[in-house]
Amino acid sequence: MSASIEIAGVSKVYDGGVRAVDAVAMDIRQGEFFSLLGPSGCGKTTTLRMIAGFEIPSAGAIRVDGADITHVPAHKRDMGMVFQNYALFPHRTVAENVAFGLRMRGLDKATIAAKVKAALAMVELSGLEDRRPAQLSGGQQQRVALARAIVIAPRVLLCDEPLGALDKKLRQQMQFELKQLQKKLGLTLVFVTHDQEEALAMSDRIAVMNGGRVEQVGTPTEIYNQPTTRFVADFIGDTNIFRGERAGPNLDVGKGLILALPPSEMQSTGVLSVALRPEKIRLSPRTDAAVTAGSAARGVIESTNFLGGAVLYRVTLEGGHRVLVQQPNAGTSRLFVPGNGVTLDWTPADLVVLKD
Amino acid sequence: MSSTATTRPNGLALFILPSALLFALFFFLPIGLMAVMSVLTGNPVVMPKVAFTTRHYARMIGDPFYLEVIWTTIRIGLVTTLVALLIGYPLAHWMARIKSRTGHALLLMAVLAPMLTGIVVRTFAWMTLLSDKGVINQTLISLGLISQPLKLMYTETGIVVGLVHIYVPFMVLTLTGVIGRIDERLEQAAENLGASPLRAFLEVTLPLSLPGILAGSLLVFALAISAYVTPILLGGFQIMTLPILIYQQISANFNVGFAAALGIILLMISLLLVIAYNRALGLVSGQRELQ
Repeated sequence: MSASIEIAGVSKVYDGGVRAVDAVAMDIRQGEFFSLLGPSGCGKTTTLRMIAGFEIPSAGAIRVDGADITHVPAHKRDMGMVFQNYALFPHRTVAENVAFGLRMRGLDKATIAAKVKAALAMVELSGLEDRRPAQLSGGQQQRVALARAIVIAPRVLLCDEPLGALDKKLRQQMQFELKQLQKKLGLTLVFVTHDQEEALAMSDRIAVMNGGRVEQVGTPTEIYNQPTTRFVADFIGDTNIFRGERAGPNLDVGKGLILALPPSEMQSTGVLSVALRPEKIRLSPRTDAAVTAGSAARGVIESTNFLGGAVLYRVTLEGGHRVLVQQPNAGTSRLFVPGNGVTLDWTPADLVVLKD
Repeated sequence: MSSTATTRPNGLALFILPSALLFALFFFLPIGLMAVMSVLTGNPVVMPKVAFTTRHYARMIGDPFYLEVIWTTIRIGLVTTLVALLIGYPLAHWMARIKSRTGHALLLMAVLAPMLTGIVVRTFAWMTLLSDKGVINQTLISLGLISQPLKLMYTETGIVVGLVHIYVPFMVLTLTGVIGRIDERLEQAAENLGASPLRAFLEVTLPLSLPGILAGSLLVFALAISAYVTPILLGGFQIMTLPILIYQQISANFNVGFAAALGIILLMISLLLVIAYNRALGLVSGQRELQ
């Protein structure tokens, strides 16, 4: 039966005084696909290893279904884990690898054989029982690691960048399969990744981490559409970030550019940072008509990147600000080319005010 | 013109020449001579008439004394290897897994430092510890724990103690290399799947370190059965081993042929072990190493 995990003010300080994880708090719900996302060194793997029991927190507590497991040794936690390099036992066959956890639980041979067979069928590896890990491809090894972890029906499945070593096509396929499996089994899954696309595509919720701290926890849409900090806005996808002084209902970001603040942010004061996603900006050929101050500006195309499904423009505004603008590839209209004069406009409600 | 260039041996091959000469002069030649001497009636350099004979080998097999010497040599080798393994493995595991660089350096120094002292000096040091009036016996007697000195020297135990001390570094260094290459995450994976730390060690680390155990044991065994100084000083001619017997045959009995035959037997024991080692390695590491 899947479990919920509560991470309550957990810190990890190493001997040298390095704070790898700093007062991290989050609640992972039962049956949830929860991702820890961040750049390398942000503390996501250390957090996962503390959940698994390979590291003991310096402070704070970890609870599973309400029971404190902070100091329970790893082998008594009943959690499955898929390691970054899979950590398959090289001296054992595929079937022996998958059977390992069942053997440790003292099940009888017939039960083990049946469960191993079912687990290998689930990851579509039937017939490879007697191979050794070295004789398998990366994708196959990944599936063995997954089968080995889920065959013990763990309370929680932990994944440490499990798809990092696979090529893009295979990775997308495994992402899909892992997500399907997680839903089908109702697994609580904690997934560590530095790949924001992977996290956005698979997760029910994401915790974005930076410098050992949690920056934001939310659903993929919340994380993308309403980033609360500058780091999250910058780390997830492309974005334009402006910083300026509050002036009435507007934000003066200098160089003659005024941004109208969204109605919901009227209480903010002082110096603010705001983010505006490239795809929230509309482009039209430049006209002589005056632009609406606060939600439009004029500029010149600096570069054009055709991405297939979309076109990414780099635009220099009249005052000198440089912004990214992404337009869907409608297929009919001609692309703007460098040197074209354009008018940009956006909806003030799409501006997101950030904490620094 | 170009064809001659391609058939010419690689110039780099010349670099093998010194070692090839060394091997030919100091390895194959002496062993070849030893093999020839072991089947001759005498030394052809000093005796004009020599003939082929198998009498040296027949003498060895026919006399229980010589068989006993061979068995004693093997027994000392086996016990030394086992004790060195039991002492060396935990130390090697510690060295391979220690996180602190200073800690690793200190352990390495501790392992290597004894090797900076000569074998003879170290063996004499053991004599002052093990003899009837040595440190151990004097201490135990003064504490009233024993009334008669324990017989520690001039026994196989004494020889094994001395040999273990000398050969443990070889075991440790061989094992550290192998254990260090085993991914720690494999043990963690085993623990994650419900194995206690001891079980994880037995199921994962120990089998994966078998090549190191075999290599270290082979090395220590080969060195221990051919040891000469330590068995002589700590055994005091009370315990007869093959190297001591060979020395006696040459220096006291001038029976070079018999000594050569004994030497061949010593070599055979080591050779059989190397073959057994390769077989065992093939079995434990599966197909990969054999390809």
